Parts: sequence; C-alpha cells; structure tokens
Amino acid sequence: MSNHDHNHSHRHNAPLSDIALRVKALESLLTEKGLVDPAALDAIVETYEKKIGPRNGAKVVAKAWTDPDYKARLLKDVTTAIAELGYGGLQGEDMVVVENTPSVHNLVVCTLCSCYPLPVLGLPPVWYKSAPYRARAVRDPRGVLKEFGIALPAETEVRVWDSTAELRYLVLPERPPGSEGMSEEALAALVSRDAMIGTAIVMLEEKTTP
Amino acid sequence: MNGIHDMGGMDGFGPIEREAEEPVFHEAWEGRVLALTRGCGAWGKWNIDRSRSGIEQMPPAEYLRASYYEKWLWRLEKLLVDAGMVTREEIERRYAETKQAAETP
Amino acid sequence: MPLLTVELAHRLISEGRTAKRDIALTAKFKPGDKVVARNMHPTGHTRIPRYVRGRHGIIDRDHGVFVFPDSNAELAGEKPQHVYSVRFTARELWGPDAPARDVLYIDLWDDYLDPA
Repeated sequence: MSNHDHNHSHRHNAPLSDIALRVKALESLLTEKGLVDPAALDAIVETYEKKIGPRNGAKVVAKAWTDPDYKARLLKDVTTAIAELGYGGLQGEDMVVVENTPSVHNLVVCTLCSCYPLPVLGLPPVWYKSAPYRARAVRDPRGVLKEFGIALPAETEVRVWDSTAELRYLVLPERPPGSEGMSEEALAALVSRDAMIGTAIVMLEEKTTP
Repeated sequence: MNGIHDMGGMDGFGPIEREAEEPVFHEAWEGRVLALTRGCGAWGKWNIDRSRSGIEQMPPAEYLRASYYEKWLWRLEKLLVDAGMVTREEIERRYAETKQAAETP
Repeated sequence: MPLLTVELAHRLISEGRTAKRDIALTAKFKPGDKVVARNMHPTGHTRIPRYVRGRHGIIDRDHGVFVFPDSNAELAGEKPQHVYSVRFTARELWGPDAPARDVLYIDLWDDYLDPA
C-alpha cells in the first residue's frame, strides 16, 4: 500500500459516504420487508453496466448504412427494425430515427429531465442530463455543437428534438465519405454514442470519444 | 408546474462539462438507486408520470445542487413514502442505524 | 416472495412498458395544420415546457395515441390522446436574432394545442 496515492478513496477500505449509507439503509429496509430481492437489483445494475450500451445503436446505424432495405424498414417502423437486431424494451418502446443529411443536422435533448433511448444507447452521460445542455440545446444548438467541436454552415438546417413525450429519438448520422467497402462491423466501430445524440459527426478514423 | 426542472432556454448555466471515459456509475450507490427506482416502479404503485412529477417537486436550490442520482434518491424516498411502502421514520431510523454501524469499528 | 424478483427485473427491462394506447380516437390535428401551444400553467405535472407556450408551430407528424401525463401523474386517469411532433422555427421561439434555418421539434399532446 505504500506507493498508493492516498488522495483518492480506495473502494476496498474507504468509508462509505453518507449517501451511500443512506442507499444501503433503504435497500436493507426494502429487502427486510420482502419487497425486493437484492439479486434483482444486481441484475438491473449489471444490465446497464455491461449489457446495454451505445454499441447497440452503432450496429443499427451500420446496418442502415450498408443495407438499403433495412434502412427503409428502420425509417418506417424503428421499434420493429431495432427488434430485428434484438434491441428493445424499457424507454425504447416507441422510437423515432432522425436522419442527418448534407443539409440537415439533428440534435436530441430532454429539457425537462433526461429521456433517452436506453435500449440502443444505454444510460445517458452526465452531460446530457446536465443543466447547461438541457437549457442551451434548444436555445443555442449551434453554440452547443461548437462546444462539441462541430461548426455547421449557416445554410445547414439544425433540428433540435425535445423529448417531451415517450417517443425516443436516435440520430442516424451521415456515413463518412471514403467508407465505401467497409464491413458493417468496421463501420459500427466508427459510430460514437455522441454521433447518435447529434453532438458528434462520424469520421473515418476510429472514434476517440464515446 | 412552472418548476426549476423546466430549463429549456435558461441562461447562466455555463459550459457543458464532459468527462472522458465516463463510467456508467461513478459510485456503486448510484447503480443501486437506479436499480431500486426501476425495480420499485415495477410494483405498479406509481407510474412514470408520477415518478417524473416527484423529482419536479424538489425545492429548486436542492434540485440545482443535487447530482443526478441524488435527485433519484430524493424522489425514490418520496414515492415510497407516498405509496405507503415505508414511512419517513423507518427510513431515517434505518439510516441512523446503518451510519452508526459503519462508524463503529 | 419479494415483489421485485430477478425474473421480473429482466422482463421489465426487455419488455418495457409502452405509453401508447391502441384506441381509435379522432385526432384534433393533422400534419400541416398550424397550431399554437396553449398558454397553460398547470401547478401539477405537465410536459409542455414554458419556452413553447403561446408559440405558433406546424404539426409535422401524428405519433398516435398515448397516455396523457398531466392526468396520469395525479392518478386521475390516463386520458389517452394524440401526440404530435410539432415544428417551431427558432425565430418563433427565440426572436429575430436566432439562426434563420434552425427549427425545433417537440412532442405535444392534443390538450396542449389550439388551432392557429
């Protein structure tokens, strides 16, 4: 232990914070009352930590790029099309795909809370749920996109989608030029989570951000 | 309600902060809160709209200060108490006991 | 037997719980209709944000019939009704200095809209 930097907490022996204790207390209370099985909680945590994530959405995007029939099905009925790949369920029961084109750029937000298409993107990042994003995405989407490193020409139509109802939105990014001939798998590896929210563009080199 | 949660168009929140390689949960308790909330919702004692309404009732200063999953915990306790699944006294008592046990070597 | 089991948790995540209702209800609006978002200020739960109230938009799509959150949150019934994707120009929402080409789409229920 002598080489450790003791400025950060070690999970294995740091005291639990007050809030962690409060959650532990609540869980024990509900378990004792026979209302929850902790194994069920473990299963939910594991599902969102390991099983559901943006790789799902990336597969949908790559398939849409390479298979025109799939893309047609996707744009017609997203929920059924993603179910073909085995994706669906909680917070993705009714989905909409919005397609980026050379003249249209889409950006998704939930100003009122944090609504997000969980089955294809997993849990949202902190920034998506944060006050700055929620407040500004609808008011100054170009400013937001600039912060994410995207500068759009004035002629591009920026469409912001505020997820106020139970429709969940997925951006279908533009396929990068020069990617013709790439396999579906290789294409999927290029698609970042941010590109499916609208805060990134898909580039030919492997993604460096989520 | 015309609450603090209705943020679209508000100014003054500053830049959007992003974390590289962000973990799904920053602390284990966050995952537990998510699981408890989703799981308890399955009982049907409340619905998703009532659940969202819960968070909206947080006092504005607390809402702005709290992290995302801190909001979820606040909301979960409120929903459980309102639904009669636990009482506020039970929650506080168990918390005090748990804290006491953790502080005792 | 706890109310929340592993099996129930898995089903909950994989099946979800749609808010869509398979009910044939007459829609108040159709795509292309000009609408104005109501100047409503409910003290309970609502999903019409302040920034669109009183603003003029156009119905882009009818998503179908869904549970109405304002009543559902108060346990006052689902009141299912049509939800529309409504398109507002950025200038309509934020004034003449907003970019000319930008638009916002927001999902709004029948009860949030009036014909314009």
